[in-house]
Amino acid sequence: MTNLNAVDAAAVAEEAHLQNADVVIGKSTIIFRRFMRNKTAVAGLVVFLGLTVFSFVGGFFTPWDKETIDPFNIAMPPSGEHFLGTSQAGIDLYAMTVEGTRISILIGLIVGLVSVLIAAVYGCTMAYFGGKVDKVMLFVLEALIMMPALLVVAVATSGGGAGLKRDLPSWLLLIIVLLVFSWMGTARLIRSLSMSLMQRDYVKAAQYMGVPPRRIVWRHLVPNIGSLLVLDITRGVTGAVLAEVAFSFIGIGIKVPDVSLGVLIGSATSQVQTFPWMFWVPLTVMFLLTGSLAMMNDGLRDAFDPSSSSIGSARKNSAKKKQA
Amino acid sequence: MSSETYLEPADSRPSPADRLHIAGLDRSLPMDGAVLSVRDLNVRFNTENGLVHAVRGVDFDLMPGKTLGIVGESGSGKSVTSLAIMGLLPTTADVSGSVMLKGKELLGLNDKAMCAYRGNDIAMVFQDPLSSLTPVYTVGAQITEALTIHNPTMSKQAKEARAVELLSMVGIPSPKDRLRAFPHEFSGGMRQRVMIAIAIANNPRVLVADEPTTALDVTIQAQVLEVLHTAQEETGAAVVMITHDLGVVAGMADDIMVMYAGKPVETGGVDDIYYNPRMPYTMGLLGAVPRVDVAEKASLVPIEGIPPNLVRTPTGCSFAPRCPLVSEACLNGEPALAPVPGGALHRAACIKSASLGADVDVHEVFSAPPRPESRFDLIPREERRAVLQLKDVRKHFPLTKGALLKRRIGTVKAVDGLSFDIREGECFSIVGESGSGKTTTLLEIMEFHSDQDGEVVIGGISNKDAADAKTKSAMRKELQMVFQDPTGALDPRFTVYEVLAEPLQNAGLAKPAIRKRIMELMELVGLQPDHVNRFPNQFSGGQRQRVGIARALAVNPRLVVLDEPVSALDVSVQAGVINLLDKLRAELGLSYLLVAHDLSVVRHISNRVAVMYLGKIVEIGEVDRVFDNPRHPYTRALLSAIPVPDPHLERTRERIILQGDLPSPLEAPKGCNFATRCPVFAALPAAKKEQCLTLEPPLEYDPPSAAAQALEAGPVPAPDQQFACFFPDGELDEDMLVVHETADHDAP
Repeated sequence: MTNLNAVDAAAVAEEAHLQNADVVIGKSTIIFRRFMRNKTAVAGLVVFLGLTVFSFVGGFFTPWDKETIDPFNIAMPPSGEHFLGTSQAGIDLYAMTVEGTRISILIGLIVGLVSVLIAAVYGCTMAYFGGKVDKVMLFVLEALIMMPALLVVAVATSGGGAGLKRDLPSWLLLIIVLLVFSWMGTARLIRSLSMSLMQRDYVKAAQYMGVPPRRIVWRHLVPNIGSLLVLDITRGVTGAVLAEVAFSFIGIGIKVPDVSLGVLIGSATSQVQTFPWMFWVPLTVMFLLTGSLAMMNDGLRDAFDPSSSSIGSARKNSAKKKQA
Repeated sequence: MSSETYLEPADSRPSPADRLHIAGLDRSLPMDGAVLSVRDLNVRFNTENGLVHAVRGVDFDLMPGKTLGIVGESGSGKSVTSLAIMGLLPTTADVSGSVMLKGKELLGLNDKAMCAYRGNDIAMVFQDPLSSLTPVYTVGAQITEALTIHNPTMSKQAKEARAVELLSMVGIPSPKDRLRAFPHEFSGGMRQRVMIAIAIANNPRVLVADEPTTALDVTIQAQVLEVLHTAQEETGAAVVMITHDLGVVAGMADDIMVMYAGKPVETGGVDDIYYNPRMPYTMGLLGAVPRVDVAEKASLVPIEGIPPNLVRTPTGCSFAPRCPLVSEACLNGEPALAPVPGGALHRAACIKSASLGADVDVHEVFSAPPRPESRFDLIPREERRAVLQLKDVRKHFPLTKGALLKRRIGTVKAVDGLSFDIREGECFSIVGESGSGKTTTLLEIMEFHSDQDGEVVIGGISNKDAADAKTKSAMRKELQMVFQDPTGALDPRFTVYEVLAEPLQNAGLAKPAIRKRIMELMELVGLQPDHVNRFPNQFSGGQRQRVGIARALAVNPRLVVLDEPVSALDVSVQAGVINLLDKLRAELGLSYLLVAHDLSVVRHISNRVAVMYLGKIVEIGEVDRVFDNPRHPYTRALLSAIPVPDPHLERTRERIILQGDLPSPLEAPKGCNFATRCPVFAALPAAKKEQCLTLEPPLEYDPPSAAAQALEAGPVPAPDQQFACFFPDGELDEDMLVVHETADHDAP
C-alpha cells in the first residue's frame, strides 16, 4: 500500500492550473459584485441604511420629544423651531416621525427575520419527514392560513388580550401577532423547495451514511435554501411594515402613546386639507422605507439568480476596450 | 487565424482524397461549391472572470451531402460554434468572422433576417429532445408550423401530407394518427425523430446536429443515427455533427475536426484522424476511450489536467500544459494548423506532427499506468466470500388511476425476481436501457429494510434481521455509494473537509482521528491534501468525482455501489477516474456494483455483468464471455448498437436496430418480455413463436452441446454464463439488420 501515498499527477496539474488562473471566485464575492452592479438596488440599500440611522440618531437634532407638548405652537406648519411642524396637540412632528420610523423598522426587521426562520425550520422538517408528519404539519399550516388574521389582531390588541396588554408594549404585541400570521406562505414555498432538494444526491448520500435526520435538515437543507431565505427576508420586512401601517391606520395596531408611521398617517387622514404636512411627511417616510426595500429586493434577485444577465455584454466591453 | 504561408496543394483530379474538403483553411474565398463555409469565426463572452474567448478562429468548408464531425471535450467551443452559425447566441456575445451559406453572409444579419434561413436552408437538431418540443402543441402542429413559416402559400392538405411523409421518413409508425399526438405521448427517441422531421421539413442544405444522441439509450441512439443517415440521404443535406463521442462520428462522418480550447487542432478525413492522428490531443482522446470490442485490458490513457481558461490568450500551444511531449519550443506561440507529411488534406496544429504517426503507441506517449492486479484475482471466485447477495428481490409499484377513488389498473414490475451475488474483490455490473430497472435495483440495495420483498444480504447480515439501528449501521458500514453527478452529490456549502468528515463523525470518530483519516483519503484518491478547505465548485468535474469516491471510502466499506460514476465526465477525465477505480479495487480489495449505460466502460472495468430488461436479468456471466459470445438476442442487440471508434469497422459491421422502445408496463408481454422487439422472434416460424408468447424463459446455463460432452467424456463444468432465451441460436430478422457498405462512403 506504499504507492497509495503518491499524489496523482493529474491532480497536481489541475491544481497548478486552478491556482494560476483566477477561476476560483467565492460565491459571496460573485453575489456581492452582482448586487453592486445593480445601481437601483445600491440606491435602495443606501436609502434604507440612511433611514435606519436617522431613526436612531435623528432624535438628537431636536430638543423636542414625542410626549412634550408645546403650548405656543399648536398645529403649526414647519418652522425653524419645529422642523416639520406640530400636531393638533402641539407635539413636534419631527420627533414623532423619528420615533415612528424606528418602531416601524423594528417591527419590520423582527417580523421579517423571525418569520422566515420559523418558516425555514417548519418547511424543511415537513419536507424531510414527509408522510404523516408532513400531513399533520400541513394541516396546522392550512388552518392558520384560513384564520382571519385581521380579527385576531383586532382582538389581541384591543379588547381580548387585556392581560397581555398590561405586560407588553403594544408594538411587541403587534410583532407577536404578526409573526403568528406571516410565516405560512414562506413555509409552503420552502417545503416544496426542500422536497426537490431532498432528491439531490448529497442528501441521499448523507442518508445512506446513516446521518440522523435532524442533522440533515440543519446542515444540508436550511443552508441550501439560503438565497431564497434572503429574498424572503426583505419581502417579509416590507410586508410587515405595510401590515403595521395598515393595522395602525384602521386603529387596531400600535396604540398611543406608542407612535409608528401607521399611527401618524392614520391620525392625519382627516386633516389632509387643513394640515397637509401631518399627512405627507409620514407617508413619504413610509414610501421611502418600503420603496428602498423593494429596490433592494430586485438587486438581490439579480445577484442570486444564476441566469441573470447582470454580467453585461461582451460586445459592449470589447468596444470599450478598443476605445481605451 | 490560420496561417497564410501554407499553400493549398493543387489537387483537382477525382480521387478518394477529393472528399477531404475541410481543406480551404488558408483561402480567403470559400471553396467552390461549398454549401457552408466558415472563416475565422471568433466568439467572445463576458463572465465574472473577464472576457472569455470561447471560439478562436474556426475555418471549414462543408460540401453538399457530406458530413463533418466536430469533436472535442466540453468547453472546447464546439456547441458555441454551431450556435454562432445558426445565429442563436445571445446578443451579449461578440461574434466576428464570416459564415457563408451558399455564398450569402449570415453573420451580422439581425434575428428577423436570420429567420428566413433558419429552418429553411439551415436547420438544427438539439441535444435534449425532452425540452426541444413545446408540450402544449401536437406534434403535427409543430411540424406544420415549420412548413407554414417558410411556405406561406402551401395549402393545408399539402402541409398535412408533407407532415405525414416526414414522420414516416423518420420511422414513426402510423404517422397519420401520431400527428395529433402530444410530445409527452412520445418517448425520448421518438421525440428526437420528430425533431429531425421538423429540421428536414424544408429540405435544408445544411443540418446542424448538436450532440443529437447524447441523451438517449444506446439502442435508441442506433435508431436515431440511422434516421439521421436516411434523412441525409433523402434530402442530400450536408451535416455538421457535433459530439464528444468519437464512436458516434466514426461511422457517419466524412471529415473530422478536433477542437481544443476554442481552436481546431486537427482536421482531416475520418480515416486519417482515427488511424493516423498527428496531434497528441487527438491521440489521447482516442486512447482514453475504452473499447467494447476488445477483451484485452490495458489501462486507459488519461490526459492530465484540464483545458485552459480562455480568459487569457494562450501564449504557447494551448495543449502544452497537458501534453506529455511538451518541449521548450511548444511554449513559443500557438502552432498553426499545418498539413502533415503524407496526408495532403490532413492538418494538425502541432510542431511535432511530423514525428507522430500511426506507429506511435499512445500508451507510451501518455505513460498510462500498468493495470493493477488484485490479490483476489488469483483466488477462484467460488472460494471468495460473498459481500452482497440478492435473493429473489422484487419491487412492484401499483399503477393507479382516478383522482378521488384510486383504481388499480396495473402493476409496474420495476424489479422482478432478481438474484445475484458479488464476491470479494470483484466488479459486478448491471447494464440495460433506461427503464430496465437498474436504478431501482440499486435503491432496493441501498434502502434495505426488513419488509422488503426478497432478501438482501450485505456482508453476511440479512435485511430480515435489520430491525434495530445497530444492525442497520453495521450493514451501512459495509456499503457505500458513488453518485452519477459529482456536482449534485456534494453539498455546495460544505468544504471538502466537511464532506469527508460527515461519515466519520457519524461513525463516532474523535477529531484527531478524523483529521488523520481525511488526509489519508485525499492521498488515496490522488488529491492534494491541502485542498481540504476548498469548496466543491472550486474543483473540476473529475476532481469532484474523486472527492465523492473518497467520501464513499471513508468508513472502509467492502462494497462500493457506483451509479454511472463516469457518465457525467469528459472522456479524458473519465479515463483517469476509471484507472483510479481499478487501482482502488486492486489495492484495497474492494468489490464494486456498477450500473452504467456505457458498455465499453463496463467491459473495461468489470469481471461479471448482468443484462437487465424490464426488471429481469436476461443474461448474466463473466464479462468477456457475455460480450464475446452473447446468447440472448437483447444482449446481441445492445452490443451491436454501441458505436466503436473505428471507422472501417463501423461502416462494415452488421447492426441490429431494435424496433421501437421499451414496452409500457401496462402492455408488458405475457411470455418472454423481449418478444415484442426481438429480432429472433420476428424471424421464427409461427409454431415456435407460440412458445415465446406463452412461456417465460428461465435463466439457465447453456447446455453443453452433445459433441462437447462426447469429447470430454463426462459432465463438463458449465462456463459462467446464464441466459433466458429459448432460441439463442435463432436466425435474426433481416429487416432489423443494417449494414453500411463502404462503397456508400467512398463514392466520389
